[in-house]
Amino acid sequence: MMTGIKNYLYRPYPIAPLAVLRIVFGAVLFISTLRFIARGWVRDFYLTPKYHFPFYGFEWLHPMGAAGMYTIYGLMALAALCICVGFFYRVATALFFACFAYAELLDKTYYLNHYYLVTLFAFLLIWAPAHRRWSLDVLLRPSLHTLTVPAWAVFLFRWQLCLIYFCAGLSKLTADWLLYAEPLRIWLPARASTPLLGPLLRQEWAAYFFSWAGALFDLSIPFILMSRQTRLAGYILVVVFHTLTALLFQIGMFPYLMMSATLVFFFDGPVKEPAHRQSRREPALLFLLGLYFLWQVLMPFRFLLYPGNLLWTEEGYRFSWRVMLMEKGGAAFFYIKDPATGRRFEVNNAAFLTAYQERMMETQPDMMLQYAHILERHYRQQGMAHPEVMVESYVTLNGSGSRLYIDSTINLAAQQESWFGHKQWILPFKK
Amino acid sequence: MKRTTLWVSGLGICVTGLILFLAACSKSGGKSSTPPDSTTDTVLVNLGTNIIIPSYQQLATTSATLDAAVGAFNTSPTLTTLDAVQTAFVQAYKAWAACSELEFGPAADLYLTTHFTNSFPADTALIKANAGGASYVIDGLGNYAAQGFPALDYLLFAYGNDATLARFTTAGTASGARQYLAALTASLKSKTAAVATAWNATGGNYIDRFSKGVGTDAGSSLSLLVNALVMDFDVNLQNYKIGIPIGQYGPSVLPKSPTKVEGYYGDLSDVLLVTQIKAFQNLYTGAAGGGLDDKVAATNAQSNGGSLNDAIKTQWNTLLTKMQALPDPLSDGIQNNNSAVNDAYTAVRQMTVLLKVDMSSALGIKISFQDDDGD
Repeated sequence: MMTGIKNYLYRPYPIAPLAVLRIVFGAVLFISTLRFIARGWVRDFYLTPKYHFPFYGFEWLHPMGAAGMYTIYGLMALAALCICVGFFYRVATALFFACFAYAELLDKTYYLNHYYLVTLFAFLLIWAPAHRRWSLDVLLRPSLHTLTVPAWAVFLFRWQLCLIYFCAGLSKLTADWLLYAEPLRIWLPARASTPLLGPLLRQEWAAYFFSWAGALFDLSIPFILMSRQTRLAGYILVVVFHTLTALLFQIGMFPYLMMSATLVFFFDGPVKEPAHRQSRREPALLFLLGLYFLWQVLMPFRFLLYPGNLLWTEEGYRFSWRVMLMEKGGAAFFYIKDPATGRRFEVNNAAFLTAYQERMMETQPDMMLQYAHILERHYRQQGMAHPEVMVESYVTLNGSGSRLYIDSTINLAAQQESWFGHKQWILPFKK
Repeated sequence: MKRTTLWVSGLGICVTGLILFLAACSKSGGKSSTPPDSTTDTVLVNLGTNIIIPSYQQLATTSATLDAAVGAFNTSPTLTTLDAVQTAFVQAYKAWAACSELEFGPAADLYLTTHFTNSFPADTALIKANAGGASYVIDGLGNYAAQGFPALDYLLFAYGNDATLARFTTAGTASGARQYLAALTASLKSKTAAVATAWNATGGNYIDRFSKGVGTDAGSSLSLLVNALVMDFDVNLQNYKIGIPIGQYGPSVLPKSPTKVEGYYGDLSDVLLVTQIKAFQNLYTGAAGGGLDDKVAATNAQSNGGSLNDAIKTQWNTLLTKMQALPDPLSDGIQNNNSAVNDAYTAVRQMTVLLKVDMSSALGIKISFQDDDGD
């Protein structure tokens, strides 16, 4: 069996899908990076805020100053362009990955599933020889040119995409999504001014139709794209689906990333070459990639480790391909109490956070905890010996109406973040 | 080989073209995007035509009246003309209370914002210096707290009528004081007139853009309006008008500060609060036409088992009752720990949650001034 798997993964496979992915995805990354800079987000997201919300375990990462951050994003754009044209490809992919991952880890306020996707694809591209055809590298070093690569180099991306769609589909199999058509029931009528589609979106059945169609699409598209007979139809579906989401929702580059990435399902054909000679490094590489996929499969299911409603607690929510699942809004009133004097007062969140950070913090318990520690440090520096931090927080989830979110008697300054621990102070969700 | 190459380049070009096309015309295309089409929204039309424009018109008219009264007073400063100025001032301040939740569009572009009109408590030292002959730019950056209604409140009411009159007539700095008074009302008059004109169909015609700015994206009229409304309610009303004076809210450990109420010198706090709540309520119900209530009702959103729309409407009435029950003057009530003030604050807090969390979420509007992506 091992030989069977080996033959399957190492058989010569056309390089075309990989090279096309490199060109198109690289171009989208380039546009996306320029767009990010042009919108002033480097400044708004990394330079303006006084405080940041780094991911757990990465608190040692800090944004650089203006020169540093713009250099990072400049390098990112340059690397994306180099990926696109295949120029110093390995260096470019590694550089892009490093810069992008760094920026993502700095502040979870800006976490988006498609940024996570970009991080993963950039990582996978480092290992795949996508530059060995239709690239400047080949032009400069013709010996690099090849028509085939080991099959795994192409399959990596296909599997990753299948996993993304399938997990996104699984996460939609909930009562909220299927039985109540939430949150599309809220979002679609809000888009009733869209030309042509608008009047449709006002109808209740439209929310149900889009919910069910969306779940069905996510669950079935991996199989449709994997099969040679149906993949062209599948790609048309991909384009239609993502174009619709682009028109209806404010989701930036996500649709274009997916439309470009799914091209990797095309351009293969019969190969006449004999089997590749295995290099000595490849078994180790494959082992690592095996681990990678194991991790990828397990991550979306880690929510099972926690009690309570996932959408409410958001414990195990990120890095799981949960997209468009909730309309959540909150308000968080933080209080500082000085136990020495008994005096208690409310904090002006806007004095510490940007509007964007504040909005994201107001519905995410781990960010509230980080913010509580920011406040504790601040008032300690102000001379308060043991500031206590309490929050009175209200959240509404998918039209539930606002309700108390966090135990407002708990001193959050005394609570600590952990890798997979449940936050006892999140109040349970009652529909 | 040749066929594959053709395939690749063909599809590559098509996809890149499609991506560029969609990226160019996508909705997330930025804050400056013009309204997507020429359809209007009846709620927006009603709010704009029957509530917002008349509110700004009223503000412009009362500000002009105030400026004229100041002119008459400066020509012939007597207790009678002073009284006329004070009366005109109260009318204009009340008109502002009905506009402060509309800080977007022309108001933001033309700087008719809380910064320039209603930064309280007033910086009395700076006002004295300006009136005493120091050089100033009336709406300069450093002059926020020495202009607008709070500065006028101080100049017109802080010392009792006889002493006030003396400050403008017999005091050594009288002519400087008169000039400063005139500069304050002239600035209000021109700023309010500019905004009223900018909204009017016969002027800048922002009403047209407002009526056509349908949808709920960042930059749509509903998003601008709800964001401005929530901001004004949460920050200006809840925190500045009550939270800080009662010592609940602040950047550090502060005792209560009754003198930090709005309209402190003229004892206008209560009447301004009541006026502001009525304005919010008007905007929510749309008065005789369609309002935010229609939008909320259409969502069937719930609140504690009942309809969200009913909950918000009830809460407006509760708030109005609480504001009408406030001790007069408010600063004394705060000093004496009057329980009606804390009651009002609690009711305001409940409303903040209903507006900021429930209403905006039900309408699909993001509370944030940033233009960003989601997924």
